[in-house]
Amino acid sequence: MSRFSLYDDEAHPSPWQQTWQAFKSSHIALVGLALLMLFVFFAFFAPLVTPYDPNSQNTEALLIPPSWAANGSITHLFGTDALGRDLFSRIMYGCRVTFGTSLLVVIIAMLIGVTIGTIAGMLSGVRSSVMNHLLDALMAIPTLLIAIIIVGILGSGLVNSMWAITLALIPQFIHHTRSFVRSEMKKDYIQSSTLDGANYLQVFYYSILPNMIEMLVVQGALALSVAILDISALGFLNLGAQAPLPELGAILAAGLDAGYLAPWNIALPGITIFLMVLSITIVGDGLRSALRKRVNR
Amino acid sequence: MIRILLRYLVLFSLTFLTLSALSFSLVYLFPTEPVTTLTGITPQNLVQHEALVTQYHLDDSYLVQFAHYLGDLFNGNWGVSLFSGEPLLDEIMLALPATIELSAYAMSIVLVVGIPLGCYSGLKAYTGSDYTINSVSVVVNSVPVVWLAVIFILTFSLQFGWLPLSGRINLLFDIPSQTGFLFIDILLTDNIDTARALKDAFLHLILPTLAIAFISTAALVRITRRSVIDVLNQPYIIAARAKGLSSRQIFFRHVLRNALLPALPLLAMQITTLITNAMIVETLFSWPGIGSWLIQAIYQRDYSALRMGMLAVSTLVVMITIAIDLFNRLIDPSREKYESVTI
Repeated sequence: MSRFSLYDDEAHPSPWQQTWQAFKSSHIALVGLALLMLFVFFAFFAPLVTPYDPNSQNTEALLIPPSWAANGSITHLFGTDALGRDLFSRIMYGCRVTFGTSLLVVIIAMLIGVTIGTIAGMLSGVRSSVMNHLLDALMAIPTLLIAIIIVGILGSGLVNSMWAITLALIPQFIHHTRSFVRSEMKKDYIQSSTLDGANYLQVFYYSILPNMIEMLVVQGALALSVAILDISALGFLNLGAQAPLPELGAILAAGLDAGYLAPWNIALPGITIFLMVLSITIVGDGLRSALRKRVNR
Repeated sequence: MIRILLRYLVLFSLTFLTLSALSFSLVYLFPTEPVTTLTGITPQNLVQHEALVTQYHLDDSYLVQFAHYLGDLFNGNWGVSLFSGEPLLDEIMLALPATIELSAYAMSIVLVVGIPLGCYSGLKAYTGSDYTINSVSVVVNSVPVVWLAVIFILTFSLQFGWLPLSGRINLLFDIPSQTGFLFIDILLTDNIDTARALKDAFLHLILPTLAIAFISTAALVRITRRSVIDVLNQPYIIAARAKGLSSRQIFFRHVLRNALLPALPLLAMQITTLITNAMIVETLFSWPGIGSWLIQAIYQRDYSALRMGMLAVSTLVVMITIAIDLFNRLIDPSREKYESVTI
């Protein structure tokens, strides 16, 4: 059955399909995506797939080497730590805690940052200039410092360190949204919808937001890797997640106590954080170059 | 020119005012008595409490208090540490140079290694060597700094015993702190074996510096590479080539200058990351800098130290950022204020 077709293509791919086509052409990006999906899977389904309770201690099985070592056993895939807890289960739950909280932090920061950034971008004049400069300067304050202050005020804990990192991430989103909205507001298509009688809210929702999503995805990926590194660093310094909670940085810090005897307790959590950040960076880079290709086409 | 300088001066004073207002608000936000956070002294009896309250104008309105707070800041009357009882000004002046020293060495490694590698990779874009450099920098950029430092300690200090584990210098060397910068202090101190002290200090420096520099170098390589590729696609490069310039001339006259300018603001943002990493690495290597000092302060809930430490570090970082921004504006006034490259 032949169908009349004016163009060669069967159908016009939507912008997202075009991006996916360009993204797919890079094998490294696909590998990164698969790895990221694995971490997302752990984050959602850790309780279903872990062989042991991450906090149950077993004094019969202290510091068992991982299964690939000469005297390791397959009952504990990644070995056990100094309290006899199964490291594989702990790391899986750690992915859940670290990855999940980072995702939450980035989403909250993005919502707040985009709102403030859009308002600042649509305004103009001295006030917005002062605000922007001030924000730029405040953006320079190290995350760790903000986290230390928040911990000082509220006390240590995972939730408090989440607030700290949210606070530290917001200025970046404001900055990028603001400069994007500013440059977009000068363009003709915005003017035409303004002439059609659209108010600020409508201009933002129907005209600017669809164009901004790509920038947000790329910035979000960047922020996500920063958030993971920060949350695990705070957990490591004992300012974030507290002792029994399986957070990757805290697991790393606990592994340090027996580090010389049981180096896998340091190596494995570290490698997990590293792979997590690496997969996010690769996917972010792949998306960025896919978007660049699409826009240039 | 003068207008630009003036604008940045106003910007800096505004930011400093905001920061000191923040640090003043900590007096009331921290979960102890305002008097204790402000002065670092826990009043023993009501009389002393009353005296401190009147001395620091704590029963006046917030604005009056803030004015006195600013006055105290400029007079160097920063209060004492809750934990050690030492004046905070002295403690910070002892710790801050150690951090500046460490970050400065790390930064110079980052610049010396990062810019040439990034330029090379950008000039050879989309070839084998470019892919190698780029993927190595992506990989290194994802390494958590805590883990890197721990691995360094485990391999080079504990396994092989090549490099010292912690501190700035062997405790056997008695170096009185004069400037706070260790190498200058060593040269200023008389009756010690200067060459050996220098060598010892250098050995202590290697691991922490490398741990900090690794990650930022990777970031800088990627920034420079992207910037060079963008510049190479500009029409003026084709014009220069058509004019008959050699690729060497094109690179040094046109590419390098135009590529580094938009990279500068991003470099300023990297400084924040670098200082955060320096603070973490300091704790691991027991480097007596402001980072480990602050983290000690939070462990001991030393609120007065936290208040001043926050102000000192953030003012320093903001000052560096604004200085780089100003430098960028001065060497290229035509550039749009917020124009910068992406990685």
